[in-house]
Amino acid sequence: MQSLKSFKVKSFTAALPLLPFLAFTGFFLLWPVLAVTIRSFKGNKNEWTLANYHPILKTGPYLHAFVTSIKLSAITSIIGAALGAFFAYVVVKYAHGKISSILDSISAVFANSGGVPLAFMFVAAFGTEGIVTKVLKFFGWDIYAGHFTIFSFGGVVLVYSFFQIPLMLLVFKPAISGLKNEWVEASRNLGASNIFYWRRVALPILTPPFIGAFFLLFAGGFSAYATARALTVGTVPLVPIIIGTLVDGNVISDQANLGDALAVGMILVAALAMTGYLFAQRKTVQWKNL
Amino acid sequence: MIQKSSKFILISASVIVSTLLFVIPLVAASIYSFKGNQGKGYSFANYLWLMHQDGFFQSLVTTLKLAILAGALNLILMVPTMVFLNLKGAKFKPLVDFLCILPLIIPVVSLAIGAQVSMPSILQNTEYELVFFYVVISLPFTFRALDNALQAVSLNTLVEASRNLGATWFRTIVKVIVPSIKSGIFSAMFLTFALSIGEYTITSLLHWDTFSTWTVVAGQQNILGAIAISIFSFVGAIALLTIIALFSNKSKKLIEVKE
Repeated sequence: MQSLKSFKVKSFTAALPLLPFLAFTGFFLLWPVLAVTIRSFKGNKNEWTLANYHPILKTGPYLHAFVTSIKLSAITSIIGAALGAFFAYVVVKYAHGKISSILDSISAVFANSGGVPLAFMFVAAFGTEGIVTKVLKFFGWDIYAGHFTIFSFGGVVLVYSFFQIPLMLLVFKPAISGLKNEWVEASRNLGASNIFYWRRVALPILTPPFIGAFFLLFAGGFSAYATARALTVGTVPLVPIIIGTLVDGNVISDQANLGDALAVGMILVAALAMTGYLFAQRKTVQWKNL
Repeated sequence: MIQKSSKFILISASVIVSTLLFVIPLVAASIYSFKGNQGKGYSFANYLWLMHQDGFFQSLVTTLKLAILAGALNLILMVPTMVFLNLKGAKFKPLVDFLCILPLIIPVVSLAIGAQVSMPSILQNTEYELVFFYVVISLPFTFRALDNALQAVSLNTLVEASRNLGATWFRTIVKVIVPSIKSGIFSAMFLTFALSIGEYTITSLLHWDTFSTWTVVAGQQNILGAIAISIFSFVGAIALLTIIALFSNKSKKLIEVKE
């Protein structure tokens, strides 16, 4: 009974065990974000100003970079979500045990620690001297005949899909596993055809997690830095890359804190995407509780 | 019959698509990495070249050191926190969940800029500052992994039993809770480790040299060498993850048998 009594502690001391966590996230997560936000509103002479945001809001290279970044992450998230969902379905349905865990590991590596290695692997496969390029040429399809190069927008779309598809596979697998066999049986017994089951039962249930996963992919693609940095060296204007060059001091700007404003702009776009994700997730939980 | 043929079509379609998208580029890059100098013949020349480059072992050691520290700090911080949330602090869970998902919302580039602005110079002057940010970016995954594992065990019963038998809190966590959520701890630790090893954005923006930033610099001198490094790290990571995944499956089975 003694230990049961000790469960009832006053509300202030109740939160005490959270102190290390709150101190850690406060100092290493919230404080940096706050600091960069504050500095984005400061001018060269440390005065308060909105000037850092002007280059982003008017037509020019910075607005163009935001458009390019958003376009890139939207396209690659659509490709990733569609193909990844298909793979997730096949894996959940037909791969079990060891094969399933090996596929999980491979997806995790491609999705999370890809970054730089992915870019170089991609050059070996699809570069001008790449093996896939040569094989395709042998069969009569010269992928370099048009505007395509791996250092162009199309190239980055291709390489980003390499981590978006496995990421979708990992994120969407639980949703597919959540489809209960009883539901198939129930609708069969009630006389539903396969197509009817998919249209009326499976798809409505899978739609919210699918949309949620899409937004997650979008946020990830939007923030991705390493792959594009290693691959393009700035040939495709993406916001993270521009921030990187500003920070490295390769570009002299008359506005010292322009990079901060760009960073805050990125947070806003990503926050919008994550709002979509959280909203879709709430819908998903509602389904789960049925 | 319909079932069987649709199974065949689905599996072969996904095998074909994934082969085209993932297997062929990986194999192509592997073949490439064995190309000899000036594209003649095949050898281990590129792998040997990269090992003889300045900073290969040094940056590899730095990366491993930081990754191990990040994995350890992550567990020291998160295991007690998550145990508390699942035991007594249920009302704080939404707050912690939100804080842990923030690293997915805040682009890493923005976080890195913020770190540059805000961290005290005593931290900025040492490469160990990276450890803290590696832990931050792995929070979303750690939270999920530990929470799933904790929800799968009847935590209250375990803790009451242990406390009633006279164990201290520290002993309860180390001897009772940790062993029962071993699989969650394993995956949390591994994910942190994997993320830390591959981390490039924060590392390069804060101007530190680890294996991933070293790779990019080396790649500018010798693309074949860079491809060799890439294959080396890909295959290494996949092998490591697979071993751990198979191992943790096994330990799960052992627990089931015991029950």
